[in-house]
Amino acid sequence: MNHTQSKAAAALSCQKTVLPSGLTVLCRPMPGYSSTHAMYATKFGSVMLDFTLDGNPVHLPAGTAHFLEHKMFETPEGDAFDLYAETGAAANAFTSYDRTCYIFTATRDIDRNLDILLGAVGKPWFTRETIAKEQGIIGQEIKMYDDSPDWRLLTGLFRCLYARHPIREDIAGSVESIAQLTPELLYACTDAFYAPANMVLSVAGSVTLEQAVDACKRCGLYEARPPRAVALSLPEETGPVPQKELVFSMPVTKPCFAVGYREEPIAPGDTKREVLLDMLSDLVCGGLTGLYRKFYDEALTNPEFSGDFVSASGMCAIAFTGESSQPRRVVELLQAEIDRLRREGIDPELFELVKHQMYGELLGDVESVDDAAEEQAAAFLKGRTLADEIDTLAALTVEDANALLQTALLEENRAYVEIQPRE
Amino acid sequence: MERKQLAPGVYLTALDAQKFNRCRITVHLRFPAKREYATNTALLPLVLERGYAACPDMTALSRRLAALYGADLGVDLGTAGIDRVLTADICGIKDEFALNGENLTAEYCGIVLGTIFDPYLVDGAFDPEAVRIEKETMTRRLQAEYNNKRLYCVRQARRKFFGDSPAGTELGGYLADLPAVTPQTLKAEYDRILQSAVIDVMVQGADADSVAALVQERLAGIRRTPCAYAAPVAMPRAEIQRYIEEIPGLTQAKLCMLFTTGDASVQPTIHQLRMAMGLFGGTSTSRLFRNVREKQSLCYYCASTAVRSTGVMMVDSGVEPGGEERAEQAILKEWEALKNGPITPGELEDTRRALLSGMESLGDSLAALESWYYGQIARGEPLTDPETARAAVRAVTAEEVRAILQGYSYSVRYIVTAQEDAQ
Repeated sequence: MNHTQSKAAAALSCQKTVLPSGLTVLCRPMPGYSSTHAMYATKFGSVMLDFTLDGNPVHLPAGTAHFLEHKMFETPEGDAFDLYAETGAAANAFTSYDRTCYIFTATRDIDRNLDILLGAVGKPWFTRETIAKEQGIIGQEIKMYDDSPDWRLLTGLFRCLYARHPIREDIAGSVESIAQLTPELLYACTDAFYAPANMVLSVAGSVTLEQAVDACKRCGLYEARPPRAVALSLPEETGPVPQKELVFSMPVTKPCFAVGYREEPIAPGDTKREVLLDMLSDLVCGGLTGLYRKFYDEALTNPEFSGDFVSASGMCAIAFTGESSQPRRVVELLQAEIDRLRREGIDPELFELVKHQMYGELLGDVESVDDAAEEQAAAFLKGRTLADEIDTLAALTVEDANALLQTALLEENRAYVEIQPRE
Repeated sequence: MERKQLAPGVYLTALDAQKFNRCRITVHLRFPAKREYATNTALLPLVLERGYAACPDMTALSRRLAALYGADLGVDLGTAGIDRVLTADICGIKDEFALNGENLTAEYCGIVLGTIFDPYLVDGAFDPEAVRIEKETMTRRLQAEYNNKRLYCVRQARRKFFGDSPAGTELGGYLADLPAVTPQTLKAEYDRILQSAVIDVMVQGADADSVAALVQERLAGIRRTPCAYAAPVAMPRAEIQRYIEEIPGLTQAKLCMLFTTGDASVQPTIHQLRMAMGLFGGTSTSRLFRNVREKQSLCYYCASTAVRSTGVMMVDSGVEPGGEERAEQAILKEWEALKNGPITPGELEDTRRALLSGMESLGDSLAALESWYYGQIARGEPLTDPETARAAVRAVTAEEVRAILQGYSYSVRYIVTAQEDAQ
C-alpha cells in the first residue's frame, strides 16, 4: 500500500469496541464538525420471515420488519419523535432486505439523543390499538409504492428470479399481510433480532466512543445477558429461473423495463466478489462504455438507464432498468455485449477508470457525518471495514473481472419485466 | 467566507473547506426568464453537460471525470423567483488523495469553466448532432413527468395557478416548442444568458485566486450588460378553482393545494417563512404531520412549502382514492387553527429547535454550505454566516408566524385520482 492509499485508508477508519452484551459500537470522531449522526441497526430485514426462537418456530407475514420499524418510535411515554423534537434532532428509520436502521442527526444534546434512540429501540412496546393505527398509515405507504413504475419493476423482477426466497415479497408487505400482525409476533422479532449481539451502534461527527459506550450503559445495553437461541431459515434457490418474463400495464407514457440476472449469493467475508459484482454493470453499460453511448445517441433508452447490484442473505442479483420504446432490442444488445466481453475480455483501461471512480466514491462517502456513520455500519454488517474495501479495490485486476464474467450475467439466469403504457 | 467582485455583475465567493475530503467549484449564472426562449433555455444544460471545446465528446468527458477519481460534473437549470439560474458545478477529491500526485483542482477548474464559458461549437453554433440527441432526451423527460404522479399533480396545479403569468413559465420547457429549437437558436440563447447574467462563482477547497484569474480571462472578450434581479411577484387572490383528473389504474390519489399572498410588496424574512412552514407542515412535529397523517391516518405524506419570491404556499399529499375531500378539509382545518387558534409555546419551540439544528449542521456539508450562501445572494441579502442568522430564527414570534399564514388565500386545488370504474 502506498502513502496516499494509507492516507485514504486512515480517512476511512473508525474506532470500534464490542460490549459485554455483544453490542458492537463504532465511532468516527470528525474534528471541526458540528453535527453528530447515529445509526442503531439490527441484522433484521424484510427477507427474514422464518426462524426459530429458543427452538420454537416463528413464521412472519411479509412486511413485518418494516412494520416493526414504524412501531419502534412508540413508547408508553409517547412518541420518540416528540422526544427528539425537544432536542431539535432530525430522526428517521428505514428497512432494507436484511437490516433495519434507526437514525438521528443532531448538533446538541447528543447524550440525550442517544438515550432516546437506544431507549425507544431497546424497549419495544406494542398494543393491539397502536398496531391497528399503524396499519392504516403503512397501507397508504404501500399504495404509494404501488404507483411507482421503478418499484414495481424491481419487485416484479425478484418474483421472476426467485421461486421461494422472501425477496419476492415487497419490503412493506401488503395490506393483507400486515393485517395478520399481533403484539406477540412483534415481540418474538424483537426478542430474536433486537438483542444487542445482533446490533450495531455507529456514530460519527462531534462525538466520542466513550460517549456512545456511556449511553449504552445508561440504557441497559452494556452488561452481558443470556443469549436467546435464534436460527434463521432461508430457502435455498436452485434450478432454473422460475419465470423468464413478466409483462403488465400501468399509467406510464413509455414502456419501462428491467432485465435481471440471478447470481450466486455472496459468501460472508467475500469482499472481492462483492466489489467485482458491484463493478460489472459499469463495465458492461455504464456511462463510460460504448454501449451506453449507443443507447443514448440512438435514444434507445432514457439517460437514467443503469445497472444495480442487489445483495441480501441468500440472494444476489444484478438488475438493469430503464425506459424504452424498444425494450427487447435493448435487452438483445445488452446480452450481446455481455457475451462479447466474456469472449474478448474487458477493456483494461475502462477497468482502471471504474476503479478510480469507486476509490473517489469511497472517500466522498465518509465526508458527511450521516454517510460516515451509515457506511461504516453497513461495512460492519457485511463483516468488514471501509478500509478493507479500499484494500480490496486496490488489489483488483481486470483478470479478476474477466474470470467473474465467465460465471456471471448468464442468459440462462436472466428474467425480463416490462411495463406497458395503459390505454 | 470572502466575497469579492471580479467585474460588473461577476462575483467570487470563497468558502472554507479544510475539513472535507473533497473540493467543489460552482458557477451560477442568473438571468431573466423569457417565455419565448424557455425551451431553448431548458435544453441548454443538456447540451453543455455533454462536453466543451477542449473535450467535445460526451464519453471522453465521462472518462476524463472517472480518471479524476469520479469527479462529479453537473449542469442544471433552476429558478430564483421568476429568474432562471444556470449552474455548473464540479466536486471531486482533494489533491492530497490523488494516487499519482495529479493536480486535480486545476483539472476541475478547467472542466467546469470550460463547460460554461467555452462550449463546443460547429460553424458558430452548437453541434447539430448534440442538439438532435438532446432534443430527444428532453422529449423523454417532458413525457416522463406523467410517470411520477406526485410530480405530475403538483405541476398540473401550478399550471392552473400561474396560468400565463411569467412565474408560470415552465422550467423544463415546452414539447410544442421543441421542433423549432436549432443549433443556432440555442447559441443565441446561450449568448443572451452570457451577456445578461449576474455570475457568481463559489469556490470551496480550491485556490480562489487562480479560479478568479481564469474566470476573468474567460470573460475578457465578452460584452456584458448584467440585468438586475427580477422583482418578487404574487398571483392575485381569486375564487378557489377545483380540478379533478381521473387516471385508470392509480392506487393512491394525489392532492395538491396552492395558496397565494396576493401581494408581492409584503415580504416576510426567510426565517419567519421557514418557521411558519415548519409549524404548519414542514417537519415531523408540524400540525399536518401530527394531526392529518398520524392522528387521522388520512395520508402517507402531507407537507407544506412556500416560496417567498412568488408568494405561493403549497400543500401536497398522497391520500386514499375517495378520501381527497376529507383530507382537503382536514388540511384547511389545520390552517384555520393556526390562523385563528392558539399556537403553543411547545410546538413553536420544537419547530425553532429543528430549524436551528439544521442551521448548525450546514457547515458540515460542502453542498449545504454553498447553497446557504448562494441562497442569500439570490435573495439579494447581505451575507451572514449560519451562526449569525440563528439569532434571527430565535427572534421569530408566534404572531409573525400567524400573520404569514393569515396572509395566504386558497386558490387552486388539483386532484389526481383513480378512475371510478377502474377500481
